[in-house]
Amino acid sequence: MAEERKPPCVVSCPVMTDTRFYAQKISEGKYEEALEILLRANPFSSVCGRICHHPCEKGCRRAKIDSAVSLRMLKRFVVENTQEYRNSRKREPKAKLNRKVAIIGSGPSGLTAANDLALEGYSITVFEKAQNPGGMLHLALPRYRLPYSVVQMDIQDILSLGVILKCGVEVGKDLTLAELRKEHNAILIATGLAESRSLDVPGIDSEGVFLAIPYLTSVALGNPFHLGKKVVVIGGGNVAVDVARSVVRLGAEKVVMVSLESRKEMPAWESEIKEALEEGIEIINSRGPRAVINQDHRVAGIEFKKCVSVFDQDQRFNPKYDEKNVMLLPADSIMIAIGQRVDLGFARDSNLKTLPAGRLEFNPRTMSLSEPGIFGAGEVVYGPGAAVEAVQKGHLVARAIDHYLKTGQFLEIEDTRPASIGEIPEETFKKIRERKRVEVEHLSAQERVKGFMEFERTYTEEEALREARRCLSCTAGAFVDEALCASCLNCVRICPFGVARVEKTAIMPEEKCQSCGICAAECPAAAIALKVFQTGLMKSEIEEFLRHTREKGKSESLIVCFACLYETRTRKTLLEGKQEMLQQGILLIPIPCVGKLSLPDLLSPLALGAESVVIIACAGEDCLYPGADSLLMRRVTKAKALLSEIQVSPEKIDFWKTREAAEISWQAFLQISKTKTMFSQGEVNDHK
Amino acid sequence: MIISETKPIGEILDFVRDYKKILIVGCGGCATVCFAGGESEVKTVANLLRIAFLKQSRAVEIIEDCALRQCEYEFADKIVEKAKAEGVDAILSLACGVGVNFLATKLGPIPIYPGVNTEFFGAAVEHGFWVELCSGCGDCMLHLTGGICPVTRCTKSLMNGPCGGTTKEGKCEIGPEVECGWALIIKRLKEIGQMDRIGKVIPPRDWSSSRHGGPRRLRKDLKLETEAAKPPSALEKNLRSSK
Repeated sequence: MAEERKPPCVVSCPVMTDTRFYAQKISEGKYEEALEILLRANPFSSVCGRICHHPCEKGCRRAKIDSAVSLRMLKRFVVENTQEYRNSRKREPKAKLNRKVAIIGSGPSGLTAANDLALEGYSITVFEKAQNPGGMLHLALPRYRLPYSVVQMDIQDILSLGVILKCGVEVGKDLTLAELRKEHNAILIATGLAESRSLDVPGIDSEGVFLAIPYLTSVALGNPFHLGKKVVVIGGGNVAVDVARSVVRLGAEKVVMVSLESRKEMPAWESEIKEALEEGIEIINSRGPRAVINQDHRVAGIEFKKCVSVFDQDQRFNPKYDEKNVMLLPADSIMIAIGQRVDLGFARDSNLKTLPAGRLEFNPRTMSLSEPGIFGAGEVVYGPGAAVEAVQKGHLVARAIDHYLKTGQFLEIEDTRPASIGEIPEETFKKIRERKRVEVEHLSAQERVKGFMEFERTYTEEEALREARRCLSCTAGAFVDEALCASCLNCVRICPFGVARVEKTAIMPEEKCQSCGICAAECPAAAIALKVFQTGLMKSEIEEFLRHTREKGKSESLIVCFACLYETRTRKTLLEGKQEMLQQGILLIPIPCVGKLSLPDLLSPLALGAESVVIIACAGEDCLYPGADSLLMRRVTKAKALLSEIQVSPEKIDFWKTREAAEISWQAFLQISKTKTMFSQGEVNDHK
Repeated sequence: MIISETKPIGEILDFVRDYKKILIVGCGGCATVCFAGGESEVKTVANLLRIAFLKQSRAVEIIEDCALRQCEYEFADKIVEKAKAEGVDAILSLACGVGVNFLATKLGPIPIYPGVNTEFFGAAVEHGFWVELCSGCGDCMLHLTGGICPVTRCTKSLMNGPCGGTTKEGKCEIGPEVECGWALIIKRLKEIGQMDRIGKVIPPRDWSSSRHGGPRRLRKDLKLETEAAKPPSALEKNLRSSK
C-alpha cells in the first residue's frame, strides 16, 4: 500500500497539527472536538493561537487560489470558545507507573514533556527558578503579544494531570542535580536560553547599557526600568523587536533598532518587523557595534561600523566589516538583544559534560545528555526556536524518556514526517472558486503604543465559521472501492474539477480532489465514498431518530431535513437548533454541501418510515462546487417522479434554497414543510 | 455493451406486490455502466419498494445485493445460494435479460422477475446517450462496408443499399433523426478509398447464424479439467450443449 501522504499544512507544522480536521470541526460547530484535535498535537494551543509563526499557513494550498486559511486565528477562536469545557473535562493517565521524572524548567518543551509523561502514568515534578511557570513565555514575551492569562490556560490544563510544580526553586542552588537524580528515575533539562549574550566592544560597561532578557522580564513583571528618551536596540531578531516595541510603549521618544543583517536576512518574523515600523521604530540594517561612547561613564551614544557580509561561503555566521564606514547614534540607553545563551547554573557541582562554547554535551539521536537518565529538550540543547518547536521537542523527549524507563535502552529518535501531497495542480486550482480570507482589523499603531494591551481581537463566531469553511479539506476527498468500480467513466465526466480518471478502475488523485462528493452521489456502482464525510453513515442516525421518537409515543409526522452546513452563521443553529427541531419532530442533518446526497439518500428516510424529506441547499450562486446544485436538483426531480409512479405524493420531498443564512430562512422553510406534511396526513383541520 | 433501462417502478411493484421477502440483485457489468441496474439502482429500487409497502402497511423484507456479473456461473451461483439461504419468495434482477435467464435456470421454485428492459448492443456516443451499433447477427460483414453495419444501421438491413428512401441530408425516410446506414457506409468508403466495393454485389446471406437459427451458442476451445471449471448443474445441460 502506498504511504499515506498529508497536505503541506500538516507536514510543515512542527507538531503536525491536523489542521484540516480542526477546520472541519469548527465548520460543523464542534469546537470542543476541534480543541481535542489541537491539544493532542499541542498542549500549548492557547499560546500558539497568539504567537505561533504558523508555518501551516505558509504551506496552505489555498494560497495559490487566493490566500492561505487563517489557521492561527481559527486556533485562537477554538481555545477562547472552549475554556469551560477545557477546565471541566477530565483526562486520565493511561496507567499508574511507579516511576518519577523531574523536569527542570517550565517552558513549553518542559511542560509538554510533563504533559505527555503524566498521561503515560509517570509522577512528574517540575522545578522552576522563577516565581511563576512558563519560562520565557512568562518572563520575556511582551504582554501585548501574549497575555500571561493565555499562558496560564495551557499550564493549568497540564497541571490538572497531577503534575507537581515547584516554583522559586533553583536547581544548582536550592538543591543539586545529584540530589534530584537520587530521587527520580529520570531528569529532563529544559531550562531554555535564559541569559542574554553581551558584546565585547569598548565602553560596553557604561551605565545605561542593558541586556534584553532582564529588561523584558522587568517589563513582563510590571516594574520596567527607566531608559531615557533615545534608545538604541542592537539586534535583528524577534527579541530585539520585542524590546524595541516594549520601549516604545514605555514612552521613549526615539527607538532605533540596529541589525547586523540586511533587511532580507533579519531573523525577526516579517509581521513583527512590519508592526514595529508602523509603531515608529526605525530600523537600520547592516551595521555592527564598534564602541559605546560615554560621558562620565554614562552612555551618550554608540558607534556602528558597516557590515559587509554576515555569513561566509559555507553559510556560517562570520561577519565582515568595513571599519572605515562608521556611524554614530546618540542614545540615552542601549539595549543588547543579540542572542541568548545557556545558564548552566543548574549543573553546578554535577558531572554533566559541557562543550567549549558553553553548551551541554547532547546526543540529538537519543536526546540524552552525558549522564545516563538525564535528557535535554528545547532551546537549552537545540538553540533558539519558536514555541511550537519547543513543544515538538517536548513530545519527542517524552517518548525518549518513556522508552528509556520502560526498557533501559535509548530510543533512536526519528522525526519522521509523511510525504506532502504538494501544491494543487494548476489545472485544478483554476477551477476552484475564490473566497476572501477573513481578516480582523488591528488597533492602529497610535493606539497600540499607548500600552501593553493586545491589539488583535479574536474572530467572531460568524467570522470563524466563514474562515474555517475556506479550508479545502485536502486529502479528505473521494476514494474508490475498486471491487465495485465498473470503470463506467461517469466520475470522469461529471467531476467539476477534472480530478477523476479511469485506468483499470477509477482513480481519484487526492492532490486534486476537492471533496465535493458529486462523483460519489452519482456513481451507479456506489463505488465511491468520501474519506471524511460519508452519506451512508446517516442511516443509523435516521433509524435511531425514528425509533426513539416513536417509542416516546409521539404521533406527529417525522421529517428528515438535510441542510447545507455552510449556510449557518452560528453553531447554535447546528447544535441547539437541532435539539429544538427534534422537539418538533424534525431531524436536522447538516451536510457540507447537500450536493453530496445521492438518489438513494433522498429516498432512504421515507423508506425508513419518515413522513417527509426536506432538502435545504445553499442559495446556489455562491456554492463551493460548480454544478452541484443543478445535479442535486435533477436527483430531486427524479426522486419526486419515482414517488409519483408508486402513487406516493411527490410533495413528500421538499426542496428549498437558503435565503441569506440558515438563521434567517430555515425555520420558515421547515414550518411550511411541516404544515404541508400535516395537511397531507389530515392532522390539521382546514381553518378558513 | 448491452444497453438496458430500468423498468417503470410501478411495473416492478406489480411483479412483486404479493411477496413477503424479496431479493433485489443488481449486476456490476453493463447494467451498472448504463445506469440501469448497478449497486446504486438496487438501493433506489429497494427504497421505492419499501416506501410503497410502507404505504400499504405491509411488512415486506427486501434484501439488496449486486453481483459482479450475473452472466458467469460462479457469480450467479452465489446469488442462488443467497436466495436459498435467506429463503426469499422472489428475486428481482436488475441485470439484462441474460442475467435473468441464467438465474432462472438455477433457482428451482423461486421465481425471478426482470427489473430492467434489455434494449440493444450499443455505444455511448455522449454521456447518457447510447446508440445501437451491432445486432449480433453472427456473420460479420463489416470488412465489406467500411466498418459500418448494414444489418443494424440500415432500417431495412439491406446488404446492397441504399434504397430509394435516402433524403438529401443523408437521413432515412423513416424519420429525420435516423441516419441512413448506407449513406454512412458510402461516406466511410470514400474516406478510406474503397469506393470500388460499392459496385460489387454482396451475395445473399445465410441468416441461420442470426436469430433465425434458434438460440445461439458459442463454445471456444478453452475446455478446462479443474474443479472450478466443472459444469455447475445438470439443469443447464441444454444451455451448455454446443452447437
